[in-house]
Amino acid sequence: MLTIAKLFGKSPFSPLQNHMKKVSLCIKKLSEIFQEIENKHFDKIETLVSELSKLEHEADLTKNDIRNHLPKSLFLPITQTQFLELLSIQDSIADKAEEIGNLLLLCPQNSLKVFTTTFQEFFKKNLETFWDARQIVKEFDELLESSFGGIEAEKVKAMVDQTAYREHQADVLKTAVRKEFFGLADTLTPSAFYLWTKLIDEVGSIAHISEKLANQIGVILELK
Amino acid sequence: MGIDLVMIILVLVVGFYMAWNIGANDVSNAMGTSVGSGALTLGKAIFVAAILEFCGAFFLGSSVSETMQKGLVNPTYFAHNPSIFVIGMLSALLATSLWLQLASYFGWPVSTTHAIVGAIVGFGLAAGGSSAIAWGDVGSIALTWVISPVLSGIFSFIIFSILQRKVLYAMNPTYASKKLIPILVGVVLGTFAMSILLGGVHSLKIEFSPLHSLGIAFIIGIIGYLIALIVIRRIHIPETGTLYNKYNLAQQLFSLNKTLKHLQKAKLVAESDTKKEVSDILDSVRLLSASLQEKSGHHKRHSEYETVEKLFSFLQILSACYVAFAHGANDVSNAIGPIAAAMNAIKYKSLSSAANGIPTWLLGFGGLGIVIGLATWGWRVIQTIGRKITELTPTRGFSAEFGAAVTILVASKFGIPISTTHCIVGAVLGVGLAKGISALNLRTIREIVLSWIITIPSAAVTCIIIFYIINALVTL
Repeated sequence: MLTIAKLFGKSPFSPLQNHMKKVSLCIKKLSEIFQEIENKHFDKIETLVSELSKLEHEADLTKNDIRNHLPKSLFLPITQTQFLELLSIQDSIADKAEEIGNLLLLCPQNSLKVFTTTFQEFFKKNLETFWDARQIVKEFDELLESSFGGIEAEKVKAMVDQTAYREHQADVLKTAVRKEFFGLADTLTPSAFYLWTKLIDEVGSIAHISEKLANQIGVILELK
Repeated sequence: MGIDLVMIILVLVVGFYMAWNIGANDVSNAMGTSVGSGALTLGKAIFVAAILEFCGAFFLGSSVSETMQKGLVNPTYFAHNPSIFVIGMLSALLATSLWLQLASYFGWPVSTTHAIVGAIVGFGLAAGGSSAIAWGDVGSIALTWVISPVLSGIFSFIIFSILQRKVLYAMNPTYASKKLIPILVGVVLGTFAMSILLGGVHSLKIEFSPLHSLGIAFIIGIIGYLIALIVIRRIHIPETGTLYNKYNLAQQLFSLNKTLKHLQKAKLVAESDTKKEVSDILDSVRLLSASLQEKSGHHKRHSEYETVEKLFSFLQILSACYVAFAHGANDVSNAIGPIAAAMNAIKYKSLSSAANGIPTWLLGFGGLGIVIGLATWGWRVIQTIGRKITELTPTRGFSAEFGAAVTILVASKFGIPISTTHCIVGAVLGVGLAKGISALNLRTIREIVLSWIITIPSAAVTCIIIFYIINALVTL
């Protein structure tokens, strides 16, 4: 007579946090790659990028696992659509990290003059935005405990605002980077120009998606 | 007399087994979550459950038992041949036991109540035909099987919503729960007393007018409130800093972030000197914000709500007791009703109007069966449930249990046999709908409805088969 026990499904929220952990490993790997470029250890980049690909694949597997084991009959405090949306946003951050890694691999070394301190600052700001969002996902246990309201929700709301603010800062830096980059444009080959344009966009999208993730969690909150 | 004596002994044995089964399997519904959340140790839970199940069965078990005894199948219909009625009750008990064994083997969410009602109706149909059955009463009982889980779900939804508003969404949850818990203790004890006293306690031959019972319930509620007030004052909770300040910090941070945003904008449009000044202010604001963030303990986790759950675990013990009591009151009838019916049939030899009432010792007998079932097997099930259900934390557990217990006890008062398990399932779903539980398996509802539909005819058919077999054996 374990009817009551059967009533409780397996909560998908800790797998969701687990997935975010894997995504954060991808981001960590990406910042390692940037570190090596800064230190001009170009020979290490290839192995790092392949490691990054592996991590991204692992995150993908986790995502699929969560999706496949989310029966329609499972009733969650948020809608299943909202849940899957969160998962998909998280995963797209890992995708972006991999994409950036691959693009860096293609960049000719003589085009690295674009890799200025402004660019690095811009990159770091993007990562900060990501870590903000990561922190919010970590709050899920507490959010479930307080059923998405109260001081916990206020706290998360403040964190969401923080993320949004950092995204704004990243955007400001993006403008600065672009300005510098177009100054250098004439000295670049067309292919390098194309690659770097794409790289700047992709790096900027990390902050973008992180803010989206934060906002998506903000929508769930029960605020008065 | 020889065959009658054999029959009576058989009925008593099988009835006792039914009571044992109820104690072994269903008590866990009441106590499992309290053990799981650590509010009670296993030993204490069994002790408390044993006392309350017995009390529930002994003091309030008579109404539902009478329904089982003569509310489903009209005993006077068999007045010309009471032994058929005795055999019928024996086969109903046997069929239900058999069906329950099968169900627990396959893990179906079958209700004892549904099975026994199905079996008795089956016997009535086979032996007396359609007119022997009080269809109106059977119909309304079946209707309450749908209504009762829904009702306990609604109750639990409301209770948990109140907890959300008053405690979980409060600025200072610990303080709020310290204020709310004594009131809730009063409410629980008051409703508990009310639901026992209203209409009188038959086995003690106590009768109260509704106004009197309301008054007594009110006084008991007030006493409970005062005791809880004293007790909760004595519980020392290590306060994590000044909690009110903690909230203010969150707001300060929020405003500071806004300031930062605007300063940033100002910096973008400002020129030379102003730009320098703005960026200086920006830096100092940023520093302030960072230090505040450090103080607010954004990274300190699991403090406030953990304390709340700890405080509510006392309340959960109370609500678990309430469920155990209500369960004893409703489910003892599954075993006792048929026994009483059979015994009356033999005692009076003819099933006239003289045959009614449940002897008090029989209620005690049923209660004892439940307690023995709990002691010999039920503790294992409580342990298993406790390990499996960790989701139902004290705030959630209290809401679900209180909602279910009120429903079950009211039904018991009206003499309606309902499924306590289904009521608790309904109550848990109610809490889930209020966003209280992280994942609920809705397939259980389908399984319950399915087993509901299957149980009644199956128990009826099994009962009819057993009835014919025993009847053939006796007439041989």
